[in-house]
Amino acid sequence: MRVKLKIGENEKKFINRVNELTGDNVYRCYQCGRCSASCPMAQEMDLLPNQIIRKVQMGQEEDIIGSKTLTLCASCFACQGRCPKGIDIAAVCEAIRHLLEPKGKDFWGPDDVQPELAKELPQQVLVAVYKKFAK
Amino acid sequence: MRVHYYPGCTLKEKATNLEDSTREAMARLDTDLVEPEGWTCCGAEYPLITEKIHGLIPPVRILRQVEIEEGSKVVTTCAFCFAVLKRANKAMLDNPTLHTRVNEYLADDILIDPTTKEKRTHFESYNGDVQVLHLLEYLRDEVGLGHLKSLVKRDLSHIKVAPYYGCRLLRPQKEVAIDDPETPTIFEDFLNAIGCTVVDFPFKQECCGSYLSASMPETSNEPSYRVLNSAKMNGANVVALSCPLCYYNMDTRQDRIKEEYLEFNGFPVLYFTQLLAWALGADVETLGLDKHLCDPRPLFDIKQNAEDVEVNL
Amino acid sequence: MKDDGKKKRIGVFVCHCGVNIAGVVDVEKVAELLKDYPGVEFSTDYVYMCSEPGQQLVLDKIKEDKLDSVIIAACSPTLHEKTFQSAAELAGLNPHQVEIANIREQDSWVHPDRDKATVKAVKIVKSMVEKAIQNEDLEPIKVGVFKKALVIGGGVTGLQAAMDIADQGYEVIVVEKEPSVGGKMIQLSETFPTLDCSQCILTPKMVEVTRHPKIKLMTYSEVESISGFVGNFKVRIKKKPRFVDEDKCKLCNECADVCPQIVPDEYNMGLSFRKAIYMPFPQAVPGTYTLDMESCLGTLPIRCGKCKDVCDAQAIDYDMKEEIIEEEVGAVVVATGYDLYDMKALGEYGGENYEDVLNGLEFERILSASGPTGGKVQRPSDGKVPKNVVFIQCAGSRDPENHNSYCSKICCMYTAKHAMLYKHRVHDGNAIVFYIDVRTGGKNFDEFYQRATDDESILYLRGKVSKIFKEGNKMIVWGVDTLTGQKVEVEADMVVLAMAMTKADGVPELMKKLKISIDGNGWLAEAHPKLRPVESLNQGFYLAGAALGPKDIPEAVAQASAAAAKVGALFAKDELMHAPTIVPVIEELCSGCGICVSMCPYGARTLNAVRKVIEVNEVLCEGCGACAAACPAGAAQQLNQSDSQIFSMVKAILRG
Repeated sequence: MRVKLKIGENEKKFINRVNELTGDNVYRCYQCGRCSASCPMAQEMDLLPNQIIRKVQMGQEEDIIGSKTLTLCASCFACQGRCPKGIDIAAVCEAIRHLLEPKGKDFWGPDDVQPELAKELPQQVLVAVYKKFAK
Repeated sequence: MRVHYYPGCTLKEKATNLEDSTREAMARLDTDLVEPEGWTCCGAEYPLITEKIHGLIPPVRILRQVEIEEGSKVVTTCAFCFAVLKRANKAMLDNPTLHTRVNEYLADDILIDPTTKEKRTHFESYNGDVQVLHLLEYLRDEVGLGHLKSLVKRDLSHIKVAPYYGCRLLRPQKEVAIDDPETPTIFEDFLNAIGCTVVDFPFKQECCGSYLSASMPETSNEPSYRVLNSAKMNGANVVALSCPLCYYNMDTRQDRIKEEYLEFNGFPVLYFTQLLAWALGADVETLGLDKHLCDPRPLFDIKQNAEDVEVNL
Repeated sequence: MKDDGKKKRIGVFVCHCGVNIAGVVDVEKVAELLKDYPGVEFSTDYVYMCSEPGQQLVLDKIKEDKLDSVIIAACSPTLHEKTFQSAAELAGLNPHQVEIANIREQDSWVHPDRDKATVKAVKIVKSMVEKAIQNEDLEPIKVGVFKKALVIGGGVTGLQAAMDIADQGYEVIVVEKEPSVGGKMIQLSETFPTLDCSQCILTPKMVEVTRHPKIKLMTYSEVESISGFVGNFKVRIKKKPRFVDEDKCKLCNECADVCPQIVPDEYNMGLSFRKAIYMPFPQAVPGTYTLDMESCLGTLPIRCGKCKDVCDAQAIDYDMKEEIIEEEVGAVVVATGYDLYDMKALGEYGGENYEDVLNGLEFERILSASGPTGGKVQRPSDGKVPKNVVFIQCAGSRDPENHNSYCSKICCMYTAKHAMLYKHRVHDGNAIVFYIDVRTGGKNFDEFYQRATDDESILYLRGKVSKIFKEGNKMIVWGVDTLTGQKVEVEADMVVLAMAMTKADGVPELMKKLKISIDGNGWLAEAHPKLRPVESLNQGFYLAGAALGPKDIPEAVAQASAAAAKVGALFAKDELMHAPTIVPVIEELCSGCGICVSMCPYGARTLNAVRKVIEVNEVLCEGCGACAAACPAGAAQQLNQSDSQIFSMVKAILRG
């Protein structure tokens, strides 16, 4: 695979938006990977948390758009807690979800809840999921 | 003693065993729990990006209500509510922009006093002055673990408890942590005070899969299973926790964990308040133990009446 | 002060500094505008005033125009004040008649606007002219030098510094707080990249130091305080009681044999035990036993007292007391070394709770032939030979959020060495190294790292480990390989953490006493990071080794020799020149209130209670001016920096 790296206006706009929304700077990440080593959902992900940050650093918005990782992050902050730079990767994922238009197939709406689960799910789960992953 | 208490929505419906045992225990500690008038859902998740300011409105409104009712503290048991309230409160203290914008929204509120029916439309800015406490912190800092220990009426030493913190009580460290996020002891100290045998296990602060159990149900089995299995491997006979969502993943969903992990044959999960109420002498019926998927009742020696037990302190 | 109306003849020399100044400031215009300023006799500009012809220009003009003061408008005085002072001296002008007007750092480098920067330059130069008008000729204060050095720390750095000073013919006292010299290096197994046995190369040096006629070794001792000034320090050294007479002890080990008290052995990083009366290690210097009274069961016969009973040499003396020894020295070398970052701080790696998670020094002991396992790789928990060993780099380093922001520099190399030595001893074992970057700058360093990967098939995974926990008798390591994008879980038998290097225990407190500044991480601060790397800003104190920051053995040794050379240069003089820009007392104005005494960071001012005036020790005064600013009566006036001069300068700036 060969990628022509381009950091033009569009890419910069994307990077700046992520930085703006998170109040952080993705270039602070030096790719130690500790977030990925910490992530309880890493086994399900197509892009590891550190790769998400890497893709943002490289302005590769297109590669992130379809990633399952965005809807696998449950904001447990294990990554942020152990990050040597204190980068809030859950917030980065949230920022990207916020920027995505349209949202991917893994996003969620009230109709998507499995009927047998609807009865047993705690209220907070429904609220949280809808807040995080709404279509 | 009288203290404001924010139960959160789940406790009123799906997690009544957490709510009931909390009330039972606090009554035995002579503490009146006062719910802020007209409280709503806290929003369950704290908004992580700056543009989602609306996520701050409900928690700040709840906190402001506590202040209006002249409360200086609010106690929660649900770890999710705790994290949202605590972070929102901190934002009001530390972030002038959010402080201004949220207070601008809230200035438009209309509050009707339930008794006098008077309308209130003028509000002072909320400045983050209410202290948000998790019940574990309240027990440690306000009740005192030494005092708590002196009130214990039952012997719980046969209950080997693995304290499960999960995420929301410990992270993000600078905003919510009730203790060191890697080597916390507040839960252990509490369990020791009420006479349980504490079992240390390495998954106490690992995520259970959280609300992914709704959006991607199959993904939460593994993390939940690992927590339960680790507790078991380390010699516990029960996991204690404080979050209805963790409870859902680790107890209510155990039948699905069993489907995926055939060797798993169930493991009891309790709210810490159930142990607390039991230790303080509550009747077993008040603890809601019948609601659990994995029956924890064998751990509770029903014959052991509070009055009959002599506890060596 | 001395404004007797005599008109001064002042020369102004404006430097272009290439485009550094001239690129922003119109230097010709500055020189031109200064020509008519009162007091200025001559004014010019030149492209590089610090160059040989530039200096010659200043020198010639002083002679030609009989200038009695010069202003060099150039860079910061910290760079070239000395250059121009010596040029002036050559021309017969008192060096204290030279003033530097800083129009580079304080002007051209920080302002983009040419016109405004030029106006500012003119103001800066004019203010210096005003100062120069009142400058007096000053003569340096002369003091004698006590040609004996104190070295604090008996690790490889301290020993090297002591040898190098002593070999120049000067006396040296080495103070080491532990019972033996040797420091951290004596605990190492083999050293990278040559794999020399650490003890084999260090012990000869230790012996040499004891035998050297010019070196006095004081182990089990600590520096209590140092007073005085460069060339003339008074040192108080606390000699802790060893309870064993070094000269009588015959090293028979009978005492240790009978001692019933067992405590963790510091030399083996607590991986084995020693007795309360012990010799730290066989090659310890001085070769003597030490009774660690804190661990002793009790010296009274009713308690124990067995060691004394069995000592045929009668070397044991329970009545030995702590002694305070006073020494006079002219210079001090601080070589207090480092410690490893506390494992307790890394809760995610188990803190100190897992026996089979070791730090680098602990693993050195396991690898060492003199270690608790005799060099056989066995894990502490059950003595089994570990077949899968995980090495984790940057444990506590490069982590500004939670631990230390800096790179500990030596860990990449020693981890490669650890993995290599492990493979040398356990051929069928697997060594896995988690790293973020491998940094091998140094002679033959990268070749060494390549040997580790090429010859020993050590697997390097790029990623930082997030958590270690125990499952059964395995240590589970959660890591990541960022190169393949996989979260990895390793079942290890043993884990070795390359813990960060940190400031040595107690060093910040000691440095506070010695008035040596430390940086935010607790490392000693050098006078200049590039040009004065082994000097402290506190004159007469020289710094060397890992106390300044993470470094390997050759670098520490090089610094030791450098510090020794500095001491030699100091001792080569019979008299020291102390800058005369001190703050004397105008006794008629002084009320003896003592405010300046409390302000003085150098202890240079004392109150004469009888005469009710302040007295100044000229040699101690560094001319910082704190007292001058604080004195309510204006009785403390710094020479060539008087209130009157400062007011004139301010006026000149405000006037333009």
